[in-house]
Amino acid sequence: MPSATSPAAFPSRVPDLSAYRIAVEPYYRPVGDEIAVFEAAWRHRLPVMLKGPTGCGKTRFVEHMAWRLGRPLITVAAHEDMTAADLAGRFLLSPEGTVWHDGPLTQAVRHGALCYLDEIVEARQDTTVVIHPLTDARRILPLEKRNEQVAAHDDFQLVISYNPGYQSAVKDLKESTKQRFIAIAFDYPAPELEAEIVRREAGADAALARILVAIAACSRNLRGQGLDEGASTRMLIHAGRLAAGGVSLEAAVEAAIVLPITDDADVRRALGAAIAACLP
Amino acid sequence: MNEVCDSEAPVLDAPALARLAGLMRARDTLAASFEATRHRLARRHGAASLEPWAQGVLALVEVNAGASALLAFWRASLELSGRLSPAALGETGLAAAALCREAGGQAACAALDGFVAIAPRLAGEGERAAFWRALLALAQAAPDCVESVATQAHRLVLPGHVADFEGFIAAGLKAAGRDSARRRAFFALEDTLALALLARIGAGPGFAELESELSRVLAALWGTAPPLQPLPPAASEAPRRVNIAGPVLRLPEVFPGVEGEGARHLYRAAALHAGAHLHFGNPRFPVRKFRPVQIALAGLIEDARIEALAMARYPGLRRLWGRYHIATPDDGPTLACLLARLARGLFDPGYADPDALVGKAQALFAAARDRLDDPAISLDIGTRLANDIGQRRLRFDARGHVVEPAYRDDGLGLWDFSDIDPEVSDEVQLLVEAARIERREGEDGPPDVAPSRAPAGRARERAAGETVPVIATYPEWDAQAGIERPDWTSVRALAPAPVDSRPLQRALERAGPARARIARLVKAAKIGRAVRLKRQPDGHELDLDAVIEAAIARRAGDVPNLNVFRSTALTQRDLAVLVLIDMSQSTRAKLASGASVLDVEKLAVAMLGEALAALGDAFALLAFASNGRDDVRLCEVKGFAEPYDAAALARLAGLSSGLSTRLGAGLRHAGAEIARVRAFRKLILVLTDGEPSDIDTPAPDLLQDARRVVLQLRAQGIDTSGITLDPAGVGAAPAIFGKANAMPVRRVEDLPLRLSELYFRLARR
Repeated sequence: MPSATSPAAFPSRVPDLSAYRIAVEPYYRPVGDEIAVFEAAWRHRLPVMLKGPTGCGKTRFVEHMAWRLGRPLITVAAHEDMTAADLAGRFLLSPEGTVWHDGPLTQAVRHGALCYLDEIVEARQDTTVVIHPLTDARRILPLEKRNEQVAAHDDFQLVISYNPGYQSAVKDLKESTKQRFIAIAFDYPAPELEAEIVRREAGADAALARILVAIAACSRNLRGQGLDEGASTRMLIHAGRLAAGGVSLEAAVEAAIVLPITDDADVRRALGAAIAACLP
Repeated sequence: MNEVCDSEAPVLDAPALARLAGLMRARDTLAASFEATRHRLARRHGAASLEPWAQGVLALVEVNAGASALLAFWRASLELSGRLSPAALGETGLAAAALCREAGGQAACAALDGFVAIAPRLAGEGERAAFWRALLALAQAAPDCVESVATQAHRLVLPGHVADFEGFIAAGLKAAGRDSARRRAFFALEDTLALALLARIGAGPGFAELESELSRVLAALWGTAPPLQPLPPAASEAPRRVNIAGPVLRLPEVFPGVEGEGARHLYRAAALHAGAHLHFGNPRFPVRKFRPVQIALAGLIEDARIEALAMARYPGLRRLWGRYHIATPDDGPTLACLLARLARGLFDPGYADPDALVGKAQALFAAARDRLDDPAISLDIGTRLANDIGQRRLRFDARGHVVEPAYRDDGLGLWDFSDIDPEVSDEVQLLVEAARIERREGEDGPPDVAPSRAPAGRARERAAGETVPVIATYPEWDAQAGIERPDWTSVRALAPAPVDSRPLQRALERAGPARARIARLVKAAKIGRAVRLKRQPDGHELDLDAVIEAAIARRAGDVPNLNVFRSTALTQRDLAVLVLIDMSQSTRAKLASGASVLDVEKLAVAMLGEALAALGDAFALLAFASNGRDDVRLCEVKGFAEPYDAAALARLAGLSSGLSTRLGAGLRHAGAEIARVRAFRKLILVLTDGEPSDIDTPAPDLLQDARRVVLQLRAQGIDTSGITLDPAGVGAAPAIFGKANAMPVRRVEDLPLRLSELYFRLARR
């Protein structure tokens, strides 16, 4: 096992996690008891899985909780080619030889941050097993390349997000991974709540927000009938921002919702007709 | 100038005209009329230019068209002289003469009269020629039908749609074939197909084109999409309206006279109106003692009520429906016009009508604004308005009543006719019939309700009568004797019997979610998996392990390995798959949904076929059944080289159940077929509903034989997997395909998804 640096050399360079701290409260409108559940899980440092369709507030919720708990938040967006090294760390070359560099997960484990692995299903399955020893009673991260076992900091907590919409025979979490987590289900908020969120986030007036939410409800009815997912709350906020910024409502909805959501001309026509019915 | 043009015109300049003048002089019945026509044409166009026209007349004379045809031509010439030049008129005469040669003078006469009626709709020479060409084609194939078509020309030729006229004639000739009675009925417009085609002329897009869009719009706005069905065409020219039959919306196949965006808009308006009825509707009103006028008015108020509720939720619907509310007092004094204005007044509270009844209806409706949720207000207000109409002695025409505006439904779906009072039953019957003209045959179930209308086993029976060629012979394992008997089974090619694939396509559309899931699998599989290649001579990043090893080697004085890069490559798919479909008698079993097992198999294969076509994997579809060892029938639905297109789908839809399952022989043939294909991996998927069986061999022997084939194929590098419908959970499949390659399906309805999932699981290995 090549190991050019001595482990003792390491602690002298404690990275500053202040960049990962969230200073201003991120706006989050609770829908149910998710904050209470998360805080309870935090007290026992239980890993949490956030399930829900895209754009319904999972990431915002984690940011809000990190702010609320006063912990730094390290976010990793998982992708198809993400390897274990991308999470745990790797040796890099320097003039003195090779230097170990902690990956984002290792940083969070060593220094006690919330580590948020976004869309974990996207990562290769061999990558996800890296988190197994962290998510049971052991709470350790083995770094076999360095021949080191990093014991998790007391404040370390793992959060993953998982979109069941993508669930398929090809991409699914292993049973052994799924069963390690406390799960919190997210869905699009009820219409009045969603309108409030859109109004607040997009700076739109209440009437506009209500129209956008009605449009979203129509598009969500088409889930499985030509659309994989309906319009998300995030899309509504984008549309609301465009409309509040002076773009006509039709154009804003077209640009922020219809065009991104589908490439199928038939579906687009049907959606267009439904939207026309929602517009005053 | 008029004098110059008279009978003494120089023969050399106008030979036809001169000859004609000579001929006409001898026929005193025609002479006067001819002279009059020629005179008037000459006055309009100049005598010198009449030569082509005269050639037309001459042509008619030469084919012995008869006096009536000549007179018809002269009538037409005068009638159209303002529109057509003498040259164009001459062309018409020549065309009529050609027609006359095929179908006789009477047909030519009728055609000329018909032409006069429709000529203003024809733009330019090309369209006129197309009209005559179509008639001539008809005359050549069915001279007896020309006259009836010519007299209906005004219904068949619409501006800008001459091509539809040609299409109509071609379709009629094709549909009737050699059946002259059918042909006559078709061209007399007494045939249902003819009426359906007639309705399509100049109309469109129609129900067939818009069905999926309407279904989506309904789902988007009202949460669920009700089943949509087409209404059969009507014989009368009375306008059709949407009909709500329980949870089903039945829409006209076309709205005649509306096309393009207008048709799309009208369908949308109609579907959403009917959808609002279903969403905000009521348990149906009992008819009891209601008179037709009450029924009509209560329906009108109910329409206004559900529209008000719908527009409160979706304000844009006002724009959608508003453009159809255009009734004004100028339309006429009839009650029908008053009802249309009433509808407008209720739809648009700002509309003011001179008739007090509209104002009263608006006031009553506005007073009930807080109780819009309650369907009873429709009965209440409707009855009061009906009484007013009764007192004013306005006659309600129950027989001719048509709901206005066009997007609204016929209103009958609101009523429960079961406990009708005998006192009013006759009157109400008139109203019901008015809305239901010629709908009877639809009552028994529109064509698409039955999943497959092909007579069961048809292909099989035909095959039994003929000698079907043997295409191959295969050995079979005799498990009891422990020997393989050579050339024991004969495989015969069963010709596919393609049928209309639309029911299958509809079933595909209905399977939306499963299809979407498979599409995701396709997408994932298409990308291919990225494979990481380590220790490469070049690549986009350093392979750190290799770099470190190289550095160590260099410091130790060894020769370093310079392959220190990492790269990724996508895996290439190189796969051929053959799907073997069991179509034995047992697949005829009906499921709770009314579809047969074979129907589900077809749907499953169609879904997999779609996925495979999207992926570009080579695949073939083969169906089999057997009738003893000498008659194992294989039907090639799609070969490896053929595209998966509409024809393949029609062949798939045409499979029918019958006979037994000699799986071993089917597998051997499938193996021989796939062995010829060049591919890295070869896969046979067997879709069956039970264990092998046949009339001449015990089932356990056939099972052993099938097992043996599977092993032999594996030795050749061909993987065989079985997906078996096994509701009882008996499970013969693992004994044949091995445990890992057998996938029993307990719920038949799951089959389509399971089949594709199995494929993707196997294709990844």
